[in-house]
Amino acid sequence: MSKALVCTCEDVTVTDVEHAIERGYHDVESVKRYTGFGTGICQGKSCHAAVAALLKQKAPALKPDGVVPFTPRPPLYPTELRLLASAPVDEAVPPVGGVPQELEHFPSALRPEGPVPQKAKVVIIGGGIMGLSLAYNLALRGETDVVVLERGYLCAGASGRNGGGVRMQWGTPALIELAKRSIDLMKGFARDLGVNVWLRQGGYLFLAKRKDTAYRLDRNAALHNKYGVPTRIITADEARQIVPDLTMKDCVTAAYNPEDGVIFPWAFLWGYAQGCVKRGVKVETYTNVTGFETSNGQVRKVKTDRGDIACDTVVLASGAWSPAVANLADVKLPNEPHRHEILSTEPLKPFLSPLVSVLDTGLYFSQSMRGEIVGGMGDPKEPSGPNMGSTLRFVSRFARALTEQLPHVGQVKVLRQWGGLYDVTPDNNPILGRTPGLDNLLQMSGFVGHGFMMAPAVAERMAQWMTSGASDELFTRFNLRRFEEGTLEREDMIIG
Amino acid sequence: MRRLPDATPRGRAITVDLEGESIPAIEGEPVACSLIAAGENVLSRSVKYHRPRGPYCFAAACSHCLMRVDGLPNVYTCRTPAKEGMRLERQNAYPSAKVDIFETIDWFFPKRLDHHEMFAGVPVAEDVMARVARQLAGLGLLPKEAGPEPLPPRTFHTPVAVVGGGAAGLEAARVLSGQGVPFMLFERDASLGGRLAHGAPEENAPFVPEATAFPQGSVVRKATVIGLYDDEHGRYLAVASQEAANLRLLKVYAKRFLLTVGGHPPTLPFENNDLPGVIAGRAASLLLRRHDVAPQVATLVGHGAELHALAHLFTQRGVEVAAVVDLKGPLPANAHPKAVIGDGLKGHGLRGVTALSFTPQGGRKQKVSCDAIVVSVPVAPGFELARQGGAKVEFDADAGHFRVDADADGRTQAADVFVAGDVAKVGSAKDAAAMGARAAQALLGGLS
Repeated sequence: MSKALVCTCEDVTVTDVEHAIERGYHDVESVKRYTGFGTGICQGKSCHAAVAALLKQKAPALKPDGVVPFTPRPPLYPTELRLLASAPVDEAVPPVGGVPQELEHFPSALRPEGPVPQKAKVVIIGGGIMGLSLAYNLALRGETDVVVLERGYLCAGASGRNGGGVRMQWGTPALIELAKRSIDLMKGFARDLGVNVWLRQGGYLFLAKRKDTAYRLDRNAALHNKYGVPTRIITADEARQIVPDLTMKDCVTAAYNPEDGVIFPWAFLWGYAQGCVKRGVKVETYTNVTGFETSNGQVRKVKTDRGDIACDTVVLASGAWSPAVANLADVKLPNEPHRHEILSTEPLKPFLSPLVSVLDTGLYFSQSMRGEIVGGMGDPKEPSGPNMGSTLRFVSRFARALTEQLPHVGQVKVLRQWGGLYDVTPDNNPILGRTPGLDNLLQMSGFVGHGFMMAPAVAERMAQWMTSGASDELFTRFNLRRFEEGTLEREDMIIG
Repeated sequence: MRRLPDATPRGRAITVDLEGESIPAIEGEPVACSLIAAGENVLSRSVKYHRPRGPYCFAAACSHCLMRVDGLPNVYTCRTPAKEGMRLERQNAYPSAKVDIFETIDWFFPKRLDHHEMFAGVPVAEDVMARVARQLAGLGLLPKEAGPEPLPPRTFHTPVAVVGGGAAGLEAARVLSGQGVPFMLFERDASLGGRLAHGAPEENAPFVPEATAFPQGSVVRKATVIGLYDDEHGRYLAVASQEAANLRLLKVYAKRFLLTVGGHPPTLPFENNDLPGVIAGRAASLLLRRHDVAPQVATLVGHGAELHALAHLFTQRGVEVAAVVDLKGPLPANAHPKAVIGDGLKGHGLRGVTALSFTPQGGRKQKVSCDAIVVSVPVAPGFELARQGGAKVEFDADAGHFRVDADADGRTQAADVFVAGDVAKVGSAKDAAAMGARAAQALLGGLS
């Protein structure tokens, strides 16, 4: 059948690009994500220019200076994990550097024409999954006088950079219940919002190397069962029935919950954003918050580079950027951004059902719906800071840790690596609720790299709390005050 | 495609195994070249619509030639030397790539298949689709073995690291050697020259030196640069170096990086631009000049000097040229007799190109029989490494591609990153060489 292709790796046609423009995606980064162009084996070598030229020709809203390429990621050519594993790494020193450096500010040519609304009941800062799902839930409850501000394109932050894992295996009842509810909402997402999110419940298989980690898995499994999560502790042989050829090297135990799974993260943002816009919520991308006007313990206005918005309530849902934004209102948050790196391989036919994680080292890997191995690993030496660059050190450490557990992926080729920011709090728990001293500034951050899987449920609770006025212990338990009062309950099921 | 009757043997005649069938090949030539010369046009099926594909770029810059080779998935057969008994399998097709039942997907969705919204929220259908999609997704199968340990990694320190042994890189290397400046140049191909060795011939083109013309160890071939990274010791290139039958990772720290990587053959959007037999201009010249493989009857489409030079090359080598469609014009003085200015391109054929239709300027639509549509448009600059190194990249609206923002001497926004040749400004090999020389001089400033 006749088709004019722009990206032949992913079978993206000229019509697909036109459709993306109709949907309001006209910058290269957004069109890349919505159509999938440039995400295949060639990573855009043959299609990048063709798509940019097409956008310039067909997207009226795209200014000439706004035609910027998507960030090219290493490796330049597909590279086998076994080769990357051979790169020398000095584990004694912290990681330094990272490429490419992300643009500090998105080009002003991408900023939409015209001012933002002069007033709104609710301004949500951050167009990641937290902000968008909250806006959507507010709209469902009839509150549509809402503006969502996003500094970049949808998916520019952690919501577009995570591995798509969703699990109920947490260490505290509050997070277990939120995650359970989230996964339920994810099951209905396509029905509610008309976009497929490809939830695949292949389970999470946690492995433990050290005794204390094994103890944690044991203890948590009991807690999970109490809350209706069917986690079970399994033997090495049972683990190998789930993942054939898993070496389980140095692992003493494993925990498995078949109801955990993986999703396709980007689709949530498109779905929520479309659902918001349909109900009258304004979603303003490429718009920067530049300050706040406050008086008498209230935020009166949110200032942006497209004008000021007078508002009743402000929600800070900027993930790892939350401390910097809060600073503009003289609010100090204890969150710190921490880079976490991740990679994706060539797509292969299905061979791996669950997401596997070695809890001691922070290694995790799963197979995406498209067939890629997607995985990452924390670096104990990673300093705090807003660095999102990629390092050879990470791919090397990851490749070694992965091939230790699954040796026959050694010849699988890495297509792309990237970094994102965990929004880390002192107790690994989120910050929710009112801000002491600025009563109408609501916090919705600090999810420590795991907010994506919590967002649908957190947003539902938060919208209910905001619109009904009824109290909800979630917003006291995780209030910013706890760091002053010193009543911390640490979450210990953090990967990375 | 065929091997020209006047071809002189360029290597040992061998056979490779294509799904149980013996196919003649020449040892050492890209195995994709052997396959198309033997009439095997369909090497793969596309990921979503299962459209038949044959090799397009011969530069590891697309995905049309990916096959399972000796048990490894997604191997670029356009850059894999043929070896006796090599086992080749087509991927992503059932029961075979020639007769693939999933081709029906292409017919069911004549415009586009919207996987974001298809069956979204439809009970049962949604679940079935998710299961089917997972089985249909993915290319190739997990290898059965871990593969050999790579060779131990090596670390180098050099004042100047040059990436790419084409016109610009070689001229820079000549300047550096002339001044006694140590450097290391990395070329991913087995031979030097880039388009000088396999592109459309160019008048007064620079001469391609042998690797032995440079100080020993300074020119490394079969070495693919995979990234410009940094760490606690500074900035370095990560290089995947092919040595004997194995790979070695090189870390090359340098004070200056000169990126002369040229460009990628871009996609030109027109109907059926992915049919087997649609081939990039640089690929067509490589097949002809290096391997004596050419279409029976060629049509050429595109614009720029290389389009017309390539048409002449075909005619000189006895390849019938049925049409040359210049999409921009005006036609140069030396244009091929078949050259016209035109547009409205469309490829015809089911499993491979059988015809091209186009509309000449001021004329009526024409359909011309051919077995290849050669797409010769200026390359898309390979800006990726430069961007990783901190250089600024801008969109050249006239050319319709991104290029590295550099001054006439190749200086970029990053103090230690220099560029020359197509990566900065697409032009002739002669222009590239001149810029390579200037950039080599410029980067010596401040280098102690």
